[in-house]
Amino acid sequence: MRLVSLSWSHRSSASAAREALAMVSVERVLAELKRRGISESVAVSTCNRFELYAAGTPLAPPRIELLLGALEDLAGASLAAQAEVRRDKEAVEHLFAVAGGLDSLVVGETEILGQVKTGYERAKSAGMTDKRLNVLFQRALYVGKKVRTETAIAQGASSVPSVAVQMAESIFGRLEGKTALILGAGAMAELAAKHLAAHGVSKLSVANRTWERGYQLAAQYHGEAIGWDEFPKELERADMVIASTGAPSAVVTCAMVEAAVTRRGGRSLLLIDIAMPRDIEEKVHAIDGVYLYRLEDLEAIVAKTMASRAEAVAAALSVVQDKAVEFNLWAQSLSTDHELSLKHS
Amino acid sequence: MATQVFLSWIAFLSYSAASVAAFSYLLTKNTRASRLMLVLMGAGLAAHVLAFAARILQFWVFPENRWFLPVNSFFGALSYMSLALTAAFFVIEARKRLGILGAFILPLAAVSLGLAVLHADPSLSPLEPELRSYWLNFHPMVLMSAYAAFANAFGVSVALIIQERQIKSRKPTELCYRLPSIDELDALNGKIIAVSLPLLVAGLVMGAMWAHAAWGRAWSWAPKETTALITAAIYGEFLWLRYARGRRGRIPIYVSMLAFACIVATFVSAELSSGRHDFLGGGR
Repeated sequence: MRLVSLSWSHRSSASAAREALAMVSVERVLAELKRRGISESVAVSTCNRFELYAAGTPLAPPRIELLLGALEDLAGASLAAQAEVRRDKEAVEHLFAVAGGLDSLVVGETEILGQVKTGYERAKSAGMTDKRLNVLFQRALYVGKKVRTETAIAQGASSVPSVAVQMAESIFGRLEGKTALILGAGAMAELAAKHLAAHGVSKLSVANRTWERGYQLAAQYHGEAIGWDEFPKELERADMVIASTGAPSAVVTCAMVEAAVTRRGGRSLLLIDIAMPRDIEEKVHAIDGVYLYRLEDLEAIVAKTMASRAEAVAAALSVVQDKAVEFNLWAQSLSTDHELSLKHS
Repeated sequence: MATQVFLSWIAFLSYSAASVAAFSYLLTKNTRASRLMLVLMGAGLAAHVLAFAARILQFWVFPENRWFLPVNSFFGALSYMSLALTAAFFVIEARKRLGILGAFILPLAAVSLGLAVLHADPSLSPLEPELRSYWLNFHPMVLMSAYAAFANAFGVSVALIIQERQIKSRKPTELCYRLPSIDELDALNGKIIAVSLPLLVAGLVMGAMWAHAAWGRAWSWAPKETTALITAAIYGEFLWLRYARGRRGRIPIYVSMLAFACIVATFVSAELSSGRHDFLGGGR
């Protein structure tokens, strides 16, 4: 088996080539390659990378200039200079590393595994995969899962909103049936609403100085818009508060929280302040059962996660390399009488 | 004699090994360690039940001891408390699936049974005439069951204080993501204490009734009586703080831990003084 991979990723190439490629649908790429006589190929396209894999036999290896030519014609741009070209063993290792999230901007992120899967499935349904690529991509998906379960590469929350959700879960357990109050209706508030809704928070209230915008955000996530003046009252009911207004000084004062706490019947309260300048007075953190996390606290936790993921890269790479060696032995055995078998272990 | 001691040793070693497995689960989140903990705990519990049964049969060899439970000695009391403690955790684990709490609860069972097999005298003798009362099967049993349940609550509160401090510090470590949430631990701690406090009070009332029937005096302010009463008061204070006042954070947790310290003091105080509650002295 002969394999070639062409990559344009956030690591190596300027964004121009990636942007040009991102405009071309994977289906069009596959159709064009087929038209030009390439029968075995898979394309993986995400906002951070474009990858093309093509397989052939030792007698008829995939021709790089043919692949590049097709892509350049489709993208209408010059791509060759920025392309990373890998062959055979190197290409296998690269695909496994990509599937494992080792090559991602946020190391260990899981989205890429789904994107590799989608790329493979599109090629499969376009009739562009044969035994070699089928086994290669199924293997890549398996390795992608394996490195995430066996190493710390994907452990911990890797973004500010997911850390906020994680802290909420450490305080409340399951978030189903919990209420969140969102102060402000900007981009950060929306991101927070999206994450909380995705994790099962069942009631969202949005308070914004301009009611209209608060209403729009609330409607989007089946929440309730409340008047700006009503939010201190809502502090009694909410389990968590996310503040991201553009106010010049703190809008949630210690006195407000103290008053609310006496009427909360001992329920914990998580306050998350992602506004700059601050929306919530720092002193509230001293109140029993009240936990204030500021943007820099959440960022520090993300940094810690990323540091421990970085430490896990070496272990993940060795899994990737082991599995690439194993795959190559299988690939070589294809040209003999005794085909090896690959085990999922 | 040999059978019950041998089985007690097996139970003690199983609990100790289960504690080690529970700790390794806490530190590594290796699910195999968690399963191992359950197996060891189950094996220990089975051996312990058999050990206790064997002890009862041994005890009944003396005709005057017939139908009384062998909890009149330090060995019997510690062994029974350890058994009740593990059984209570077994129930909690079955209902809540919070195996990680084993790291905080099982060591207490291991220590209690360890004290019995290493330091207490396992021998049995005929009951003193004044102890031959049906109250013997109720007053100490109810109290020791309450103590065993409180020990579970103490284990939960240790996990709770760690989790609370982790989240308050804003610099959570790996441990934070492995421990159950503050609210789950808080609810469990409160629930166990709310169920056990009436048991403790009932045990004290039974003791008073027994004392009244036997000596005509319900309460004599013996060290063990006094510390047990203080224990009940502190747990009462905890429930009041937590549920009537709605206080959260570390203060109520420390109060519940203080109450458990008082339980330990109950045993120490009785051993330091002499009297009918003294296992090492006259009570044997």
